[in-house]
Amino acid sequence: MPINQISGCIGCEVCIKSCPTDVIKLDNKTKKAVIAYPEDCQICHLCRLYCPVGAITITPEKSIPVMVSWR
Amino acid sequence: MSKFDPNSEKNQHNKNFSRRQFMGITGSVLGASVSAYAMGASIFNHPPQINHRKIESGEFTNENLITDVLVIGGGMAGLFAAVKAHDAGAKVLMVSKGRLGSSGLTPFAKGFFSYDKQNSKMSIDEFVALVSESAIGTNNSVFTRQLAEHSYARAQELKAWGFFDSPLYNESFMRPINERNIPLHERIMITHLVKQDNRVVGASGFSLDQPKIVHFHAKTVILCTGSGGFKPSGFPVCDLTHDGSIMAYKIGAKITGKEWNDGHPGSAQNSGSSYDNWHGQIEEKPGITGAEIHHDLGVDLNYQVYRLGGPITMGGPGRKEESTLTGGPYVPEKFRRVGMPPAPPTEGVFGGLFNTERKDRQGPPGMGGEQVGGSSAGMAIHKSEGLVPIDDTGLTTINGLYAAGDALGSHMSGGIYTQIGSSLAGSAVQGAIAGEAAAELSSTLPILMITEQNQKKNETEILAPLVRERGISPAWVTQVLQGIMIPNFVLYIKKERMLQAALAYIEELRDLHVPMLMAADLHKLRIAHETENMIITAEMKLKASLLRKESRCSHYRLDYPEVDRENWDAWINIWQDQKGAMQFEKQPFNMWPKFPT
Repeated sequence: MPINQISGCIGCEVCIKSCPTDVIKLDNKTKKAVIAYPEDCQICHLCRLYCPVGAITITPEKSIPVMVSWR
Repeated sequence: MSKFDPNSEKNQHNKNFSRRQFMGITGSVLGASVSAYAMGASIFNHPPQINHRKIESGEFTNENLITDVLVIGGGMAGLFAAVKAHDAGAKVLMVSKGRLGSSGLTPFAKGFFSYDKQNSKMSIDEFVALVSESAIGTNNSVFTRQLAEHSYARAQELKAWGFFDSPLYNESFMRPINERNIPLHERIMITHLVKQDNRVVGASGFSLDQPKIVHFHAKTVILCTGSGGFKPSGFPVCDLTHDGSIMAYKIGAKITGKEWNDGHPGSAQNSGSSYDNWHGQIEEKPGITGAEIHHDLGVDLNYQVYRLGGPITMGGPGRKEESTLTGGPYVPEKFRRVGMPPAPPTEGVFGGLFNTERKDRQGPPGMGGEQVGGSSAGMAIHKSEGLVPIDDTGLTTINGLYAAGDALGSHMSGGIYTQIGSSLAGSAVQGAIAGEAAAELSSTLPILMITEQNQKKNETEILAPLVRERGISPAWVTQVLQGIMIPNFVLYIKKERMLQAALAYIEELRDLHVPMLMAADLHKLRIAHETENMIITAEMKLKASLLRKESRCSHYRLDYPEVDRENWDAWINIWQDQKGAMQFEKQPFNMWPKFPT
């Protein structure tokens, strides 16, 4: 997983706005942020850094295969 | 100016039997890499299926907004464009796909080049001459000089806004915007520019948060939409897909610089993590960089692997074989590094600031551990690709349409990285100048509303992927595109036959898959439009690479390895003719294109 956990969310939506690739959405029922599209996470950590309560955990592995120009 | 069409088969769609035969033969080479890649992809376990819509087109509402100057994009260029247009007396409105200072490449750039006349060891003339020497003439000296002349003033303004006091830029960017009460519309993806009466009159897009289409009616538009890539892994450019260039291309603007390549490597370990590739550099405050000319981050590493295989490791002396490696991209003598493998990127183009608080950081990409290539695939050298300017304000070949920053093909540094920190500073400088120019032009123009007919047309095109009952997943198309475009023997180490083979694949995606791109919700709708933009970009990159039959800076042709100053002291401009075909022309260095087109 890239962004893999949001724990202790206060529903401020800052992470949703701060994500360049639109990975996080607000759950309309719980009013808390959810990881909606982990496959589009570019693992840049902006959401984690902007989160005011340190609720976001990120791991360095992509959830889909990675294409590079050589390996 | 010569015209060139590397592929006269454009728009013949799937009727073209000969092209299919061609694919059957030459495509097999490339097919091996595509299908091997495909087998591991989880997304391939989900075949095309009925569009399970979570949102219906009938739920969409419309909003209409009117302004003098519309600034599209919320990075460094957009910030200064909006501020300076406002200060010059115009009514300004900002719209961004993401959040101000937290989208595009701006949040990750930590070096800001500032030329300080009082304390610099070299004069501006020397600076411009050295950049031109490193860039083998590919830079536009007007913009190189402009960068040096204006960077100091922009750095001082940023300092006053608190930019250099925090690793995160949203707060300092919001300060001047709030002080001026400039309306800011975030998380709206602009997909269409509108041209009426031979000038730009606004733009249309959709919200990422609610079913809403917004039409922006404006006297002038400044594209600050950044560059883009193929959603590559390991570089934080996955939200940028050359949206500005492609929407401008569709209304007839000229686009340049598509043959250049950004050569940032990534880490072999966790190649998909841009944070880890940059060793946490994002957590550092930005800083100022001074004049120091390089010739960095071209395709040297790709060439090394092409000839010798991996591994590529940086920071130490080269292996024995590397020192005997012949051929490869030409580096002007003054910029060669003695006793090192070709051009090791000791500092990223965003500025590697080793004097900051995190002592444990290993440095930017290229430092520490084994490297892989293609982490920024689909992106050219900053400022080398984008809309063709017709003057030093960033006015484009469309009346009233300006571009600034990475959206403008200013060739400020040319087809290679020459100055650390110039990417961010160049965006600030160009944004400010475009802002003032757009404000002045707006004061002479009446507002011209986007017609009902054009609004309807844009709405239909925006919603098309959502309306489709069946089709193709944009994520799958993207992965196929990556498999075609990213391997180092296609766009990095180029040759005729392979470029043609890749082009055959891309044309298939363009003709068959773009009209079938499908979206079930607002996020996927964004992805669908981004995917189309990447496909058109891929076509541009392949055709421009085919056309440029020489090697220079970050464009390397194995079959034309020499610099050809006689025939190729020229940039390549690309535009769409009225029949929808992609056209090309050579524009000699240091000449502006004809205007209007």
